[in-house]
Amino acid sequence: MTEQLPIIIILGPLLGATLAAFAAWFRPRLSQPLVVLGLVISSAAALKLVFIVADAGAQKYWLGGWGPKQGHGVVGIQITVDYLNTLLLAAVSGIALLTSVYTRRLVDTELAGRQRYFYALFSLLVTGLLGITITGDIFNLYVFMEIAALSSYALIAYGRGRAYMAAFNYLIMGTMGACLYLLGVGFIFAKSGTLNIDDVSAIIPELGQSKALFVGFVLILLGAWAKMAFFPFHGWLPNAYAHAPTASAAILAPLATKVAIYAMLRVMVTVYSIDYIIHSPGIQSLALYLSSLAIVIASFFSLTQTNLKKLASYFVLSEIGYMVGGAWLANKPGLTGAMVHVVADAAMTSALFMAIGCIVYRLGQAQLDDLKGVFFKMPVTMAAFVVTMAALIGVPPTCGFFSKWYLIQGAAQAGVWHFVAALLLSSLVKAIILFRIIEIGYNRVPHPAIEGNPAIPRNEAPLSMLIPTAAMALGLIALGLGTSTLVNTIIAKALPAALAP
Amino acid sequence: MSTLPIWQFDVLLLILVVLFAVVALSIRNLMGAAVVFGAYSFMMCLIWAGMGAVDVAFTEAAVGAGVSTVFVVSTLYNTGATVQRRTGGLAFKLFIGVVVTLAGAFLLSALPDFPDWGDAESPANAAVAPYYITHTIADTHVPNVVTSVLADYRGFDTLLETTVVFIACIAIYSIMRVDKAKLETDEPAIVAVPRYDPGDSLIVRQASRFMVPFMQLFALYVIAHGHYSPGGGFQGGVILGASLILLAISFDLKSLLRQWSEKTLMLLVAAGVFLYAAVGLACMFMGGDYLDYGFLDSVLPGERDMARSHGILLVEIGVGITVMFSMIAIHINLASNGRFDRGL
Amino acid sequence: MENLIANFNFVIVVILMMIGLWSMLAQKNLIKKCIGMAIFQTGIILFFISIGAKDNALIPILTEAANHTYPDPVVAKVGNPLTQILMLTAIVVGVATLGVGLALAQKIYQQHSSFDEDEILENERK
Repeated sequence: MTEQLPIIIILGPLLGATLAAFAAWFRPRLSQPLVVLGLVISSAAALKLVFIVADAGAQKYWLGGWGPKQGHGVVGIQITVDYLNTLLLAAVSGIALLTSVYTRRLVDTELAGRQRYFYALFSLLVTGLLGITITGDIFNLYVFMEIAALSSYALIAYGRGRAYMAAFNYLIMGTMGACLYLLGVGFIFAKSGTLNIDDVSAIIPELGQSKALFVGFVLILLGAWAKMAFFPFHGWLPNAYAHAPTASAAILAPLATKVAIYAMLRVMVTVYSIDYIIHSPGIQSLALYLSSLAIVIASFFSLTQTNLKKLASYFVLSEIGYMVGGAWLANKPGLTGAMVHVVADAAMTSALFMAIGCIVYRLGQAQLDDLKGVFFKMPVTMAAFVVTMAALIGVPPTCGFFSKWYLIQGAAQAGVWHFVAALLLSSLVKAIILFRIIEIGYNRVPHPAIEGNPAIPRNEAPLSMLIPTAAMALGLIALGLGTSTLVNTIIAKALPAALAP
Repeated sequence: MSTLPIWQFDVLLLILVVLFAVVALSIRNLMGAAVVFGAYSFMMCLIWAGMGAVDVAFTEAAVGAGVSTVFVVSTLYNTGATVQRRTGGLAFKLFIGVVVTLAGAFLLSALPDFPDWGDAESPANAAVAPYYITHTIADTHVPNVVTSVLADYRGFDTLLETTVVFIACIAIYSIMRVDKAKLETDEPAIVAVPRYDPGDSLIVRQASRFMVPFMQLFALYVIAHGHYSPGGGFQGGVILGASLILLAISFDLKSLLRQWSEKTLMLLVAAGVFLYAAVGLACMFMGGDYLDYGFLDSVLPGERDMARSHGILLVEIGVGITVMFSMIAIHINLASNGRFDRGL
Repeated sequence: MENLIANFNFVIVVILMMIGLWSMLAQKNLIKKCIGMAIFQTGIILFFISIGAKDNALIPILTEAANHTYPDPVVAKVGNPLTQILMLTAIVVGVATLGVGLALAQKIYQQHSSFDEDEILENERK
């Protein structure tokens, strides 16, 4: 049974989506429970695999039974659960499970009368994201990328109004990214003849200084950057996530860009190897400058936003800068920081959007200046919000502190001081914004506990939304406390042994 | 074969293809652009057939030159927008032009590193591909190597591809479908009454009435015979879908919806994906890996080693079902602007 | 002669892709962007097919009538099936994306009565 676990991770949401598409025409209320069931199976399998991988190493699975053949390499499609992706698989399926429970109320209000296929598309998006993470075949990654992309265009377009143009721009940029990725795969295939990640990584060192492989690498990189909204391809993200319905943003924002970053990490660490990266110094410094620019520009824009959802989207953009920069530092703390941050940021962004969703559900809008008294109206939600912001700023013991610590360490070691400055600057900006929100939500109304002041009635979010939000926020602290265990048992083993310490 | 002037044809087609692409993108009449785009797809199909990729050419003819062009024309018909506005912004276009030229030069810089064109010993041709060619008969008894690789060796990719078609169908449905009850209050209708009523043409109606049964028979042949000739689930499914789209265009969208209701269409779209995934699950229940058809030999009819061939046929049928009904549903959504009443 | 044809093939592929890419990014009309996207994708497909082409090879369907294919095929005489499968997938993904793009364009037209990006942005600002 345990050797079938890798494919079960994918089959759970895929079959859940198909059954939800059937149920949508007979008993529409059944769509969500079916999807939740699929995600429960998937999360359970992913969690079990974390322990199996920590004990026994990488688990490989060959679809259709077509594994390696003498003289040809792997002839079928392989899916792999190894040190690099096992934590992310558990994180993606877990976050998707919590979000699927959380979004029920939002879907009923924001999408009244139109929600026939929402949960089917939700589940298909998660299938695509899990597939990108688990696959061991570079062309299979492209198909999974398009599954995730098409579902996300539809999920964003549910927002109507301005969401249509935002979704169209996302479609153009996303397809450009996917096509560049496919072209890069073509260049690699022309030189190596195989699509299996393990086989390609064995062939590339033998080919030496091949121009075609270099061009292929750059193309794949550009494709991944367009998909993860890395500067200068970031234009589509703020509009898309702000105009999408909150239910869609809650699943897209935490996961879609992180999985694209994972794809870049996989190509950098496994397919091409860190040696190759270090010997192409031109791209390395370019990527580091772009990362710092991404962080600084996104932080600057987040200061001017008045809409909570747009604000959160700019936070997402700056976090992407952290991870890409950490990966391109190409030393042990930098890569460790990037890998920890992928999981940590998925959790932080999920908690952030869940808290914002609770506020939108109760207050009907998400404008910053209209948040007066929200700390009294929704204490639990705002507590979760403050914990999440603390994690984003980098306050111990939340997970945000540890990943930032690794990144700063790595940058200092490599002597890339502009990256250190950018990291510290963005923390400062986030602190400013947090204090502004506290000021608006707490100080601008007369304190109800003091005699003579009007009472502010509590209007907390419903339990089905509140419990996932609180759980996610507590998870940030748990993740932070468990970081060293995770790094020692899993992440450190994902890094190549010959890496600079 | 070697006496025909093949390379002259190839060069001519390649030049034509670039010409058509430039024309399609610069012509200001959008209907004209759609038609030239169809011609461009057809030229591509000929080039690929010339290079020996017959299954790909078949699919491009059905999907690219056929269905894609119909989709673009339906969109334009519905909006009544036929002429592109003359716009400025020359500086931005020049900037993009420079970026794109540099990108092209960057790609061309890899040219000397490529193996010779047509080299049978190049890595792409000599690493994994020979396994498929030499083992397909022994493993699957399917002479069409493309079909056996598509549905067996790399069957997982095909399951995902079918899922992509499924997602496109429900995505377009979710984006476009407008409830009849909210029709007047919610969003304004665009083009009202067509100036030319297609129901008036006797010739079109009778000709399509005559053609549709043959199209469907041929499509079923393509699906069933995909093991031995160019074809398979995708091509057959698209032709089946096209036959019904032809009925919708030549008669009336409503008459098609009377035969195939909205609910039936959307349920069958999901049914094909479910069939494919269920075949894989059945393999797991029989003790094998996912999509390992060899383990189904006790439930499938015929000899033991024909199990893979029958498994391939089953999944091709699943693919055909999903593709057929997706194409129809997408056309209805695009042509009627989601109202499911009157359209192209 | 063969060398020139081979390089010519690749140059045409790059030109096609760049035309499509330019149209996707620089053109203001939404329908032209969609068509440019389709041209970019078919250019990539042509690139892959060219990689898998073999001189004087037959199509990858093993038949008794054709020499050197059945039942012990001579690999050099049978076309490469792997690139063809990959491109079948790419074509279908391309048409799916085109469909979704056209649906979004139609909805945008319904709101703004225009396919032109500049007019749409002006409209949204009001």
